[in-house]
Amino acid sequence: MDWGLLLCFSCSVIKGLRKNGWLVREESGVTGVWSKCLILLAHKKEYESLYMSHIWIPSSWCSPTEGPECDITDDVTATVPYNLRVRATVGAQTSAWSTLQHPFNRNSTILTPPVMEVTKDGFHLIIKLEDLGPQFEFLVAYWRREPGAKEHVKVVKSRGIPVHLGTMEPGAAYCVKVRTFVKAIGRHSPFSQAECVKVQGETLPLALALFAFVGFMLILVVVPVSVWKMGRLLRYSCCPVVVLPDTLKITNSPQKLISCRREEVEACATAVLSSEEPFKAWI
Amino acid sequence: MIMNSTRDMKAPCVSLWLVAAVFFLCSVRARGLRRCLISMDLHHIEEAFQEIKKTIQAKDPFQNVTILSTSETLHRIKPLDVCCMTKNLLAFYVDKVFKDHQELNPQILRKISSIANSFLYMQKALRQCQEQRQCHCRDEATNATRIIHSNYDQLEAPSAAIKSLGELDVFLAWIDKNHQGTSAA
Repeated sequence: MDWGLLLCFSCSVIKGLRKNGWLVREESGVTGVWSKCLILLAHKKEYESLYMSHIWIPSSWCSPTEGPECDITDDVTATVPYNLRVRATVGAQTSAWSTLQHPFNRNSTILTPPVMEVTKDGFHLIIKLEDLGPQFEFLVAYWRREPGAKEHVKVVKSRGIPVHLGTMEPGAAYCVKVRTFVKAIGRHSPFSQAECVKVQGETLPLALALFAFVGFMLILVVVPVSVWKMGRLLRYSCCPVVVLPDTLKITNSPQKLISCRREEVEACATAVLSSEEPFKAWI
Repeated sequence: MIMNSTRDMKAPCVSLWLVAAVFFLCSVRARGLRRCLISMDLHHIEEAFQEIKKTIQAKDPFQNVTILSTSETLHRIKPLDVCCMTKNLLAFYVDKVFKDHQELNPQILRKISSIANSFLYMQKALRQCQEQRQCHCRDEATNATRIIHSNYDQLEAPSAAIKSLGELDVFLAWIDKNHQGTSAA
């Protein structure tokens, strides 16, 4: 018998991986030989065992398969005992069937909490959970970290997408824990360790409010003053008012001014005549 | 005259209390029966059936005949008879329909196997419920079951089986409707 086939046969031990899923995995650790083997996997469920004992159903994805590991989640679709059998083929040679010692029921799966990432976006509490597949739901519990605080529970079905849990109050710390739930088998994992985040207090918003107030007051003072100044500038530019110096201001009435001026002219003329005589005499 | 009027007032009150008590008991009983179906993952079964529905129904040689839906057999079932009727129909499919159908296509065989095993699990869940609560079969449920079996026996086994398989969506919709509103355990 070919050494590779012998190893394939002896190594074809099936064990269901019981952690958040159902995988067929070879346990011996021999990996090099598997490249030569073709694995055929079939299963027989309780119904076939009871009513059609001769029928084995080939696996959807694992018949045939290469390599020591194969995901049989799509085959294990009912919560009943499953019997599995596997054999190896190398060229024209085929090994005998190897079967599970004890039937596998998916409700024996050991569930673990998912990987969780808790973040905050401003005052919003955000959580992102690991994608474990369509069979899994998550129960998320979150609470304000203070004595007697109420615990809120939310069912999350979205996978790998950030989910908004709630809005946090400023200055408070909030904690989150999560557990896996699989409706098909009615089982859940224990809760994960709690992760907490804290939101900053109101100092930043206060500073912003103060700044806004000061700015508003400045605007209240500056704007009217600016408007007044602009008005004055426009008035001077467009419609200037002529301001006479005091020396040119007429304080008396025009008649008096004319009569005064006549007297001044006569006096001036007399003064002028008297100065003109010598000039005339000279001419 | 005063005594008569007091008596008159008490009588309607007592009747009202009686009616309320009977109503309460009936609703508790109906709710108790519906709670028998909590742990069923119908969505997965419906998905599996949808994938093979067209192929199965195309193989039905008697398209004008029905086995489950005669005179709306299922729709006339009252809430008190839901548990018994579900138990009977599950047995009908598990003990008769799936056994009489010989499927050669491995992909279809896989889906039918999945549905059959899910029904087996539902039977177990219902059995547990029966031990805790009452799941009596009244004449209405027994007669409806008899009609369905009679319709099945009028055809040859392979034809009857393929037809019953094709009417699985009727059965699944009926189960879904009758345990709608219950919460998961």
